[in-house]
Amino acid sequence: MVATSYDVMPDIELYQPTDEDNALALASSLGKDGWLLGGGQDTYGWLKDRNKTPTAMIELTQVDAWKGIKEISTGVEIGAVTTLTDIANNPLIQSRYGLLAKAASIVASPQIRNVGTIAGNLAQDARCWYYRRGLDCYRAGGNICYADSPEGLNREHAIFGASRCVAVSPSDTAPALVALNATMVISSESGQRLVDAEDFFVGPDRDIVNMTILNEGEVLTAIRLPSEWANAEYYWEKVADRNVWDFALVSVAAAMKMSGDTIQEARIACGAVECVPRRLNDIENALRGQQRSEALAEQVAAMATEGARPLNYNHFKVPLMANLVKRAVRG
Amino acid sequence: MGELVRYKRDVWGEEVILGVSWDLLWVVAVAVLVLLAAHAIIMAALANKKIEKASTGGRRVVRHESIDRLFHWVMALSIFALIITGVAPILGLRFAWLNIHWIAGLLLTFITIFHIIRSMFWQDFKSMILGPKDFGEPFNAAQMPGKYSFEQKGMHWAVTVVVLAVIVTGMLMFLQIDSPFWDRTNSMPEDQLGLVFLLHGLSTLALVALAATHIYFALRPEKLFYTRSMVSGWMSEDEVNANHDPELWIPREAD
Repeated sequence: MVATSYDVMPDIELYQPTDEDNALALASSLGKDGWLLGGGQDTYGWLKDRNKTPTAMIELTQVDAWKGIKEISTGVEIGAVTTLTDIANNPLIQSRYGLLAKAASIVASPQIRNVGTIAGNLAQDARCWYYRRGLDCYRAGGNICYADSPEGLNREHAIFGASRCVAVSPSDTAPALVALNATMVISSESGQRLVDAEDFFVGPDRDIVNMTILNEGEVLTAIRLPSEWANAEYYWEKVADRNVWDFALVSVAAAMKMSGDTIQEARIACGAVECVPRRLNDIENALRGQQRSEALAEQVAAMATEGARPLNYNHFKVPLMANLVKRAVRG
Repeated sequence: MGELVRYKRDVWGEEVILGVSWDLLWVVAVAVLVLLAAHAIIMAALANKKIEKASTGGRRVVRHESIDRLFHWVMALSIFALIITGVAPILGLRFAWLNIHWIAGLLLTFITIFHIIRSMFWQDFKSMILGPKDFGEPFNAAQMPGKYSFEQKGMHWAVTVVVLAVIVTGMLMFLQIDSPFWDRTNSMPEDQLGLVFLLHGLSTLALVALAATHIYFALRPEKLFYTRSMVSGWMSEDEVNANHDPELWIPREAD
């Protein structure tokens, strides 16, 4: 379908459950016809352009149990419909998990952060404009990738892990949560399952239509940050064309446990280079037990981009990613 | 029933073929199940009229050389891998299927080329030719086949056509993805690409039907000795005499 501009929203049912059971029952009964609505920042465009055509929206922001930030025995739990502004400004997050506070504070613009939720930021769909324009590409159920065609504009697209589709994970908070070893709480009528943040995102090799492992009827209801990574040394940087209201060209999130100048343990993830936040396991292993230094940063930065396969217009991402990793390690 | 072919708008807004409608997968599955179940019921009803089973003892003759058996089972394995990795994602299973799919496809391509060459120069190619006379065989109890029966030749040629269609269309699709051998150009016009997807989908559906039918007949009690011969390579002389014309097929004795 080629996009047509519409002046109005389509006729659509709106459900506003106020408790968990009702929300999960609606998600289950409506299945793919029920659009899970958080702040709506990745919703209204899709629906208004008729490029996604669910019959109903289930607004989740009125479920109090899924809002707010609280301490739990293993660390901190963030309700999935907590806004990005609340996360960025929360004293607990700022003091213990500054990496996430920084990542949340740089998403889009203040207005969007005021209504946008962490779950919405994590589960948002690919930002490839061919896909968003309504073209029937692989991700839309078609048989071609327009971004990776000879004339395709792919400056913002993937340099790793492309499998037919070359879109990247657009979330700013996702690499931070991977670096913090967060756990996603996924609820459905049949119960709850816990998934590592790293495994929450799926690439096109495994599922070319969805960007997360959420199945029909499942809702991301909370994110748990483990105390083992609280108060680590953090580094967050996002490079975008604009400082406000833009997606990352490349971002890096790093958490390091230090003992003096020695790196005891590290977790590093890059955003906007792959369809999932790209965790840099090899670099984490190489850093373990090493003295932090400029030379070490140089050395591991070269490792970061091994295996990169840039497209026609995004070769610049290779040195950009290497430099961001270098800065993250150097601190 | 839903649509047979799926269409989409290309980048210029023109309607082009996207591929086969996967509703047909269910149609094929149900049709094959119904037909095979009907066959099983009829055969069960006629069971008391069956002639007694040929003895497996006595002199043994070679039905399939070991290289041909290996070819058969590798082909079976690759086709299974292709069907499972091709169909499971359509049914909603999420796994990294594409690499397994093209590796199995390459394997099928290589062994098919091997089989074509071997059958033309090292095997009795004529024994698989389906001639006008063969069409009378199912209706004439006195007419015995040579090495291969009418049904076996029919299955072979049907599989040949379908596998060649799957391979040719699959290779064209393989060129559209990155592989260790090339970087994709992704430059095939969308209408041609849609046609390739349609033909690949149709031949996949035919392959599913043929594979199910083949397995069913391989497991039929009265045909099990053929399946055994595809594992062990031999048939008893009694089995040959009961099912084949010794003037049309003179097998060599097994070691």
